[in-house]
Amino acid sequence: MKNILLILLIAAAGIVSSCKKSLLDQDNPNTLTLEQFWKTEADAQKGVNAIYHMFYQPGGWSRWMYFRLDLTSDEGFSKSPWIELADWTRFQYVNYNFFEGNQNTYRDTYKAIFRCNQVLTYVPDIPFADQNKKAQILAEAKFMRGLYYYYAALLWENFPIVTTLQSPTDMPEQSSLAQVWAQVEKDLSEAAAALPPQWTGNDIGRPTKGAAFALLGKTYMQQRKWSDAKTAFDYLVTGAGMSFYDLVAYQDNFRAENENNKESVFEIQFSDANKTTEGDGPSSSMGSNRAQFFAPRSIGWSDGQARNWMVAEFKKEKTVDDKIDPRLRYTLFYPGLEADFGDKIYGRSWQWDADEAWFRKYSRDYMRNNEDYFNQINNRMIRFADVLLMYAEALNELGQTADAYQYVNRVRQRVNMAPLATAYPAIGNNKDLFRERLKMERVLELCGESVRWADLKRWGELDTEAGITKVALRDPDFNNFVLDKSIRLPLPQIEVENNTKLTQNPHY
Amino acid sequence: MNKKLLQRRDTGFRLKLIGNIKDRMLSFLLMLFLFTCAGSAKAQEKITGTVKDAGGPMVGVGVQLKGTGVSTLTDGDGRFSITLPAGQKGVLVFSFIGYTTKEVPVSGTQPLQVTLVESSSDLSEVVVVGYGTQRKQDLTGAISVVKATDVKKRQATTVAESLQGLATGIRVRGGGQAGSEAQIQIRGLKNFSGTNPLYVIDGLVTTANRDFNPADIESIQILKDASAAAIYGSRAANGVIIITTKRGAEGPTKIDVSAKTTLQTIPRYDLAKTEEFSRLNFMAYDNAGATRQNLDLSVNTDWQDEAFRVGQVQDYSMSFSGGSKDATYFISAGYFGNKGAVISTDFDRINFRVNTKSTKGIFTIGENLAISNAKTDEMSGNPIIDVVRMLPTIPVYNSANPGGYGYGDEGRARTFGSNPVAIADLDDRTNENLRIRGNLFSELQFLPSLKYRISLGYETSRDHFTYLRKEGNWTLNQAYDPAIFNENRGESSTALIENTLSFTETFGKHNINVLAGQSYQRDNYAQIWGRKRNILANPAGGYYEVLDQGNEPQTGGFKNRTDLISYFGRFEYNYADKYLVNGVIRTDGVSRFGKDHKFGVFPSISGAWRISQEEFFKTSWINDLKLRANYGTLGSSNIGPYDYIAFINTFPTIVMGPGQAVQPGSTQVQLANPDLRWEEVTQQNYGFDATVLDNKLTISAEYFISKTKDVLLRYPLLTSTGNDGGNPYVNGATLGNRGFEFTATYQENSNPFKYSVTGNLTTLRNKVIDLGYGKNRTFVGNTVTEVGRPIGMWYVLQTDGLFQNAAEVANYKNAAGKVIQPTAQPGDIRFKDNNGDGAITNADKVIAGNPWADYELGLNFNASYKDFTFSMDWFASFGSLVFNGPRSVTDMFSDNTNYRAGIQPWTPENPNTDVPRAFYGSTINSRGDTDRWLENGSFARMKYIGISYNLPDDLMKKIGFRNAQVTLSGQNLITITKYSGLDPEFSNNSIFEKGYDFGAFPNLRMVSVGLQFGF
Repeated sequence: MKNILLILLIAAAGIVSSCKKSLLDQDNPNTLTLEQFWKTEADAQKGVNAIYHMFYQPGGWSRWMYFRLDLTSDEGFSKSPWIELADWTRFQYVNYNFFEGNQNTYRDTYKAIFRCNQVLTYVPDIPFADQNKKAQILAEAKFMRGLYYYYAALLWENFPIVTTLQSPTDMPEQSSLAQVWAQVEKDLSEAAAALPPQWTGNDIGRPTKGAAFALLGKTYMQQRKWSDAKTAFDYLVTGAGMSFYDLVAYQDNFRAENENNKESVFEIQFSDANKTTEGDGPSSSMGSNRAQFFAPRSIGWSDGQARNWMVAEFKKEKTVDDKIDPRLRYTLFYPGLEADFGDKIYGRSWQWDADEAWFRKYSRDYMRNNEDYFNQINNRMIRFADVLLMYAEALNELGQTADAYQYVNRVRQRVNMAPLATAYPAIGNNKDLFRERLKMERVLELCGESVRWADLKRWGELDTEAGITKVALRDPDFNNFVLDKSIRLPLPQIEVENNTKLTQNPHY
Repeated sequence: MNKKLLQRRDTGFRLKLIGNIKDRMLSFLLMLFLFTCAGSAKAQEKITGTVKDAGGPMVGVGVQLKGTGVSTLTDGDGRFSITLPAGQKGVLVFSFIGYTTKEVPVSGTQPLQVTLVESSSDLSEVVVVGYGTQRKQDLTGAISVVKATDVKKRQATTVAESLQGLATGIRVRGGGQAGSEAQIQIRGLKNFSGTNPLYVIDGLVTTANRDFNPADIESIQILKDASAAAIYGSRAANGVIIITTKRGAEGPTKIDVSAKTTLQTIPRYDLAKTEEFSRLNFMAYDNAGATRQNLDLSVNTDWQDEAFRVGQVQDYSMSFSGGSKDATYFISAGYFGNKGAVISTDFDRINFRVNTKSTKGIFTIGENLAISNAKTDEMSGNPIIDVVRMLPTIPVYNSANPGGYGYGDEGRARTFGSNPVAIADLDDRTNENLRIRGNLFSELQFLPSLKYRISLGYETSRDHFTYLRKEGNWTLNQAYDPAIFNENRGESSTALIENTLSFTETFGKHNINVLAGQSYQRDNYAQIWGRKRNILANPAGGYYEVLDQGNEPQTGGFKNRTDLISYFGRFEYNYADKYLVNGVIRTDGVSRFGKDHKFGVFPSISGAWRISQEEFFKTSWINDLKLRANYGTLGSSNIGPYDYIAFINTFPTIVMGPGQAVQPGSTQVQLANPDLRWEEVTQQNYGFDATVLDNKLTISAEYFISKTKDVLLRYPLLTSTGNDGGNPYVNGATLGNRGFEFTATYQENSNPFKYSVTGNLTTLRNKVIDLGYGKNRTFVGNTVTEVGRPIGMWYVLQTDGLFQNAAEVANYKNAAGKVIQPTAQPGDIRFKDNNGDGAITNADKVIAGNPWADYELGLNFNASYKDFTFSMDWFASFGSLVFNGPRSVTDMFSDNTNYRAGIQPWTPENPNTDVPRAFYGSTINSRGDTDRWLENGSFARMKYIGISYNLPDDLMKKIGFRNAQVTLSGQNLITITKYSGLDPEFSNNSIFEKGYDFGAFPNLRMVSVGLQFGF
């Protein structure tokens, strides 16, 4: 017995004394440390890939972004019994920290920017065999950073710009809207210079030169820099990139088949490969929740639906062969859908109120009778039809109305609508009439594609009480709209309180 | 314990007191009188005898003729001689500290043979202090001792649950739910990373979680202050709970059996039935101008009846113990089964334990081994909230819905509440743990004064979690999910090697005790999980719950390891039992910190003065008085194993290309602070212990000041950092806690009616001295934590009654004449415009109260008469302001939920109410960030009441039993409170929002019958 004890004692003492240093130096056996990463081309590639993963997170484009853009605009609204969620689509912002309405999107925006900034900070020091490859990776990160700042400018306007890696104690300064736009322009211009015109193979879906120019053009449009916008769009419409873009069958823009087609300028690549929770865990979801949240009552959460004034707008003008505008069929679920086109809604006949409508784009009712959190249909964030209409708008604003017609016609022609001049001869070269018609053309073409909020802002519809009243006729939620306040979201209160350099947006 | 150490030379003066409990002050005066007249007694009759205890003759025992000043002491052989006045037949009172006072009538038989018995809770009691023991009288730190009998009498799943109200300075919340574990907090929130104390079971650092059988407990000591806990240096910042399990004693085999069965009921809300609900619901819709829903008035479901049931606990244990002079053993087995008070919740545990010890010469070896298997059928969803959110007009079953359960309906019952019956069936979770916990120790007594001990400890648990999601829905508009099966297996292990050397020697009046030791601990945890979808249904019912079935597989796994190396020493010095000095130092190195910050040194020093031992201290009514003071530092490294390292998240994947090929991504998601270091608590503790009135009243009081610096906290970072996955730890804040603890126990054992009463009082003030990153305050939910105030003060809008008419709305203006709530209608809430800007905004929020109790009280009463014993424990907490989350649901009206029965929303006809008008679809009157939902959280609760009957000894002898006892008891039967929620004694896991009742599982009311016998 004593011997055993002695052996134990010696063994114990031996273990402890000999291994003291190494025992306390335990490396994480689960993953790479920061110091081990950002060394190789493969690291750079993975780093840039991780940015796109932010599209799959709920604060952004897998869920809440559609509430901010589609439901807040006069195209959509919410009848959700979750009152606070609905309040955040009708300018009733009470608790500025409301996670689903504000903080989640704000946070995910910065998460994405953090990923971009990591690539832009670390990748320049990584040796690459192919310098072009390196430039493309950096350009992808710049494109994505520009994209996230673009939407931050739309939502919060005075959004603090962060372009460097932050330590826990860093407090960025407040930025003005003009500063944010300038950052977007810089990032997108630099991205456009280095991105390839087309990707091949398994890289298809990454931003192209055309995507960067299109988003840059949209950035100028929001600032009403019409000439700069036209110049940016030139690449896609009349310039070196024009051969890459065309219009396809309308419904092909909203379905899982024919993704990344010629009309796609930039798409979010969704997939149902991982049917798990979203976030940064293993095998996290890469699907979109939009349809689950927007599908009609008793099919999805139905937290968001379409205003049905659009149904009447679609029906105001028939196609050249006297049929209902086919875009209505693929845009909305509405009471007359089955009668007009023979389509059921997720296998059901209309069972909702007669004055209701629901967004159909990106829904899967064409292939199944329910929805879930793993919708695989790519979101066509920028498609060529949008670019054409913007291009027409820029030309009109620049006084080149006559020249603008052809681009609107191209969009109309695809769905068998008569040329604009034929259908609306009164417009002629009247810039204002043209602009008014273009506003409706954009609704008919792009309804439910998250561009309407930017359009309303760009057109100044919400800059006057009269304008607001007019919008409120279509969407009574705008009766809550307060001039110069509701045009932008409040910054999350917690951020204002914890960053002493920040002031809350005006009137909040 | 060497009885010689207990010798006292000054016993005589305290024997003069007459034991009349009813008139203490009078006795005191009388005592003074007796002093003066003692000398006048005349010697007439001589009585002699000896006094002994189980170990032999006792020296210095006080012998007194009852009711007189006549007294003497026993000599070195335990002999005494006392002379009585003529004709006196009287009664002799024998008393000795640490022993139960005995009264013996003077009869003809001489010499008298008197045997004294050690009293149970007294100064001679041995207290486990970590790597050793001390006599209670020698303690210099704040240590609470809880008796196993007090713990055992309550029906509890975990030890923590049964401690409430039994000791000062501890706050226990939780339990109730089948298999749930209570939270315990010792002396306040000292940090932000958790409050769990360190548990040491038979020397093994571990957790006393639900796998541990409280029936095996021999004793519990709670080390509260720095000097007491310092020997455990690291991780001791939240205090230490030392549990010693039972061992056998020399003698024939003893068999003890106990069986207890308990019925549990859950407190319920008083909710509206269909008639009242529909009337209020229509009112809310009408007020909002909304079209009423087509409620199904033929249905009247009581969701509480559906979700709740009478729970049942079966608790059986049996032990065998015994041994010889050289070897002892204790073997126990137990079963604990709890059918939960919520449907589809269960907990089952089986336990085995073998503790043995043998001695040969200078060599001792022993082991403690416990094996347990615990399985929980876990609760799904939160029925505590679901029963409120489901409307009474919704049927439990509805064959039209997928899965066949009733739930919200867009036209008839618009609610997203989950059907608790459906979720209990369709969402099934089980959690099973097999735990083996044991240690092997060996001691070598080289010299009488020098002992070496080695202890090898090992603990492992195999955890198995399953989750089956059956096809079907439980709530309105739910996303489609096929049958999903998830299985998760984890394995944890802790290995511990400790070597200690202790030296004890007495040089005249100097007693020295020195301990030196070293410890190495390694913790490992690893987990793997797998998940499949579209699990194959079994035509006979249910599913094939194996991962071979189904498709779309996903797997994962991870592992962690932490190493801890420690060296420690303790020096105890005792001069003549009067002056006690105690010094402890421990240094810990842990792998959780970066290479320059691994080691921390935690010293403490303490002293005590037993002033009653002094010659000059002649206060006869004080039997013992000790003053204590100490100062020390403790550490905490309560963070993850690798938190100081910034790591790359390699999980983000994306799809690209025509085939939507999955491509890997990697990025940093969470920031890290590489300079993380030990969090340090420095504590001062001042206290005294007194035993007075013939050892009948013991008093203990403590005042402590603790300060935690470099608090490891997950300080909320700015969103603009882009950080996610949890805020990284930082050594940020400095927190202060001050508290006062007082305990008094009075016991009367000299009459057939014996009783003891213990009262304890705890006050605690915590204060934020400094916050991380140079910040002054931080906001979390409805709370603000700012420098100079307690953590998590309520920060909300203030309500100021209701508007009764349009004129009141119009007249409610700020100084500049701006109407503050222009859109308000009569019946709406008036908010205070605290910043006077004429609008209600976030800037009007103010600190509206403190979520922490001002003081907490415990009262324990024990009594026995003949064969009956009675026991009752009360616990009370006063002064906290708490947020009633469930009421913010039942009273909101903005969304459809069930309502509180009898609620009176404002109407023009019924304006005398504090409930605003019912209004569907707007949060104007129901916003969650107002003081409308704050309530007084004070309460007093009878935690336990029980009566036992011990079968008479003669009957026992006939049937060959040693003892037998029947007990009828109840827990949580009476609660006195103004809080309108289910349970004011709720718990949650939030640090900053401790006073928020998120719909916590309430404490259950329990009635138990128990049978215990031994032979």
